[in-house]
Amino acid sequence: MPSLMPRIPRLAVYGLAAAAIAIFPLVAPNPFFVHVGQTFAYTAIAVIGLNILLGLSGQMSLGHGGFYAVGAYVSAILATTYGWPLTVSMAMALAACLVVGLMVGAVALRTRGLYLAMATLAFGFIVEIVAQRWVSVTGGTMGLMGVPQVDFGNFRMGPTYFFWFAAGLLLLVQIASDYVFGSSIGRRLNAVKESVSFAATVGLNVPLWRIGVFAASAALAGLAGVLFAHQSGFVSSDAFNIRLTISLLIATVIGGLGRSAGPLLGTAILIGIAEAIAAVHDIGLMLYGGILLVVLLLFPEGAIGLFGRRRAKSGVAADAVSAFLPALAARGRAAGRLDVEGVTKSYAGVVALRDATLSVEPGTVHALIGPNGAGKSTFINVVAGLYAPTAGRILIGGSDVTQLPAHRRARLGLVRTFQNLQLIQGVSVLENVMLGMERRRGLLADVLDFLGGKGHEARERAEAASILAFLGIGTLADMKPKDLSYGHRKLVELARAIAQKPAILLLDEPVAGVNPQEAREVARIVGKLRDAGISVLLVEHNMEFVMGLADRVTVLDFGNRIACGTPAEVQKDPNVIRAYLGAVEDAA
Amino acid sequence: MTLLNFFQLLVSGIAMGAIYTLTAKGLFITHLATHRLNFGQGDFLMVGAFASIGMLTAGVPAPLAVLGVLVIMGVLGYLLERFAIRPLDRLGDRAGAYSWVLTTAGSALILQNIVELGFGKSAQYAPPLFSKTRDNVINIFGVGIFFEEAAIIITAFVVVGAFYWFLFGSRWGKAVYAVAFNPEAASLFGIDVRGVVVLVFVLAALMAGISGVLVGPLVSVHPHMGLIFTIKALAVAAVGGFTNPVGILVGGLLFGGAEAFSNYWDSAFGDLYPLLFVMALLAVRPSGLFGERRADVR
Repeated sequence: MPSLMPRIPRLAVYGLAAAAIAIFPLVAPNPFFVHVGQTFAYTAIAVIGLNILLGLSGQMSLGHGGFYAVGAYVSAILATTYGWPLTVSMAMALAACLVVGLMVGAVALRTRGLYLAMATLAFGFIVEIVAQRWVSVTGGTMGLMGVPQVDFGNFRMGPTYFFWFAAGLLLLVQIASDYVFGSSIGRRLNAVKESVSFAATVGLNVPLWRIGVFAASAALAGLAGVLFAHQSGFVSSDAFNIRLTISLLIATVIGGLGRSAGPLLGTAILIGIAEAIAAVHDIGLMLYGGILLVVLLLFPEGAIGLFGRRRAKSGVAADAVSAFLPALAARGRAAGRLDVEGVTKSYAGVVALRDATLSVEPGTVHALIGPNGAGKSTFINVVAGLYAPTAGRILIGGSDVTQLPAHRRARLGLVRTFQNLQLIQGVSVLENVMLGMERRRGLLADVLDFLGGKGHEARERAEAASILAFLGIGTLADMKPKDLSYGHRKLVELARAIAQKPAILLLDEPVAGVNPQEAREVARIVGKLRDAGISVLLVEHNMEFVMGLADRVTVLDFGNRIACGTPAEVQKDPNVIRAYLGAVEDAA
Repeated sequence: MTLLNFFQLLVSGIAMGAIYTLTAKGLFITHLATHRLNFGQGDFLMVGAFASIGMLTAGVPAPLAVLGVLVIMGVLGYLLERFAIRPLDRLGDRAGAYSWVLTTAGSALILQNIVELGFGKSAQYAPPLFSKTRDNVINIFGVGIFFEEAAIIITAFVVVGAFYWFLFGSRWGKAVYAVAFNPEAASLFGIDVRGVVVLVFVLAALMAGISGVLVGPLVSVHPHMGLIFTIKALAVAAVGGFTNPVGILVGGLLFGGAEAFSNYWDSAFGDLYPLLFVMALLAVRPSGLFGERRADVR
């Protein structure tokens, strides 16, 4: 459990684990221990996959037993019935699980939660039924016998070799899991879990991430199934009922969701429970159900929660941070031009926005104001790409992006904040800011840095800390967003947006609900961003804030643009006065 | 396939479809009000079936037995809400987003085990509910159909009708929709939100219980039959998009009918085809045939 020992370089911990794996079968008192060790190793692999799926990406699967079965059957049938070499049959089984995982995960592409739980439940059931009834291929409940075992040609030493093989694979998978949890990948999966629109805003192709993590998790369950098939040499459909899936889920939640070391603990506890339940088989189901309820309701953090969470340290002293200077990076000044041409948006016949036109010049602050219901939120969501306009065009830096999804626009430098804050509550402020950053190194270099222990993502941490210092909240780096005041959370969200290196910043009510002093602070920061060449489009109700900051102001009312000009011009415009104060004629 | 055959299959299909619809209505109403549902709904159906078998074979008159089943199911629905759903709200964000899937599924395992201990693991048949023998055939327009099936269809439609009246015609139905729309606002209007949540879970359990009573004479009953009914009820609810009660009725009848014919066509894997079809449908149209899609924008 390397994450519990932050001071020791990871590589050393993994080396120790490898040594323990090497020694274990040689010192185990009898073959039974080696057998349990094997079972632990491949079960933990499946549980790690579930933990990443449930704990990080927030997707539920009730069908991992199905993938486990697909892996076991494909490899067993190819090796037994068709006599293929084990290496090929195992590789084919993994490929099959990936493909099936992609197909089942397709349901998760556009919906999540309930539908995925349902589709996976049905999938596991279908696999079980097919295994049971397609006797000519699977052997049904009578099973496939004589499945070749992984013994590298040495019958006597076979179990030891198999243990080394399975435990070695577990170690590799655990390292991969630790990396996922400790790197930008984990942060991004957290964002996907938090909300779709939020993840798209930080530039993530959400469907791709969802289906990718689902297929990877399916393949890990399949790998466990493959190992299971070649451990016992016998595969029967009885092994793959819903109870298998439930067992894997129990191990996942009992170990502790969303912590990389959880699955190891959870699998060990599961195997202990399974051995204990064998004696009281009549009430086995009741115990499983009871354990699920007790763990989920009384110990939602699982066993790993008892160890306490490692404090996420920013590793950067707040006062030793170099001053952050907002810069336009490599995007160039021209990229900061935003043109919205004749955009109309209607919902089922109700026009929320009619023929709206607006241009944000590079390096200026443009404010969009209007009474409630004027169409401002619709406007910002259409520009950000969360809504498709009914008509009209949107151009960034002169190129048409009307057809691009939100995450592609974000990568072009169109970055937004949300009216009702979007932050990952469970991770530190610093990591929320780092979410906005691209990974600078290649994957391999980043993994090596990670294994080396010290200095992994040090530059990203330092930069995130300097952005926080620039916003005057450097001391909050190690806190969780849920522990912060509303105004501070708004600033954290702004910091995340700045970390994305915006060319155009869309600020949705940046000072709504914050106190006047904080509002002045936000105005100062936005002014600095403008001076650095970043274009800003802001939607805001606070007139003092808008009039003191904006270079140009556009006024919307009932979906129509009623005025556009400098703050002074707009304030004198009779249409604007009428929109805000009501028609003068009526009063007279 | 003769025309006679066709009509008999159709009636059997509609009878099963009506039962799926009833079970799925329970899922629909809890999902509507709480965005959660019972992943052991099929196991609740199983409990209903066994409770009715137990009482009928003990000589309890049918109406009393049905009443007894309803009482048992109501209590179970309350217990489910009280011990598998409500504690999750207290945990707040310490509970995972989909913990309810696992707590309700875990409760289902406990029910399976209890029934297993009480009735044994082997399959049983319920005595017919509406007629003396299970193969009592009546003749409608020259087509002989089982009286039991016809009675089940009529009963199921009466219950669905009562459900619609509850949802669209009664004050409680309005309260359910108010809670579905916004629980906080509903409580400000003086609606007992917790009461509504309990009510929908009790109602869902009652629907499952009635389904269990009705399905008893049609299929063999065993303690692990619940899973398949959970899956099919979920599939039927998904065809209706979980939001459209009429869509669920149409989806249920389509599903039951399709299943009867695909079973006839392929006796080995026939029951899987409608399920596979629904999964493919969801991949293409995630909101089902009738549901509306809503963008996730905050």
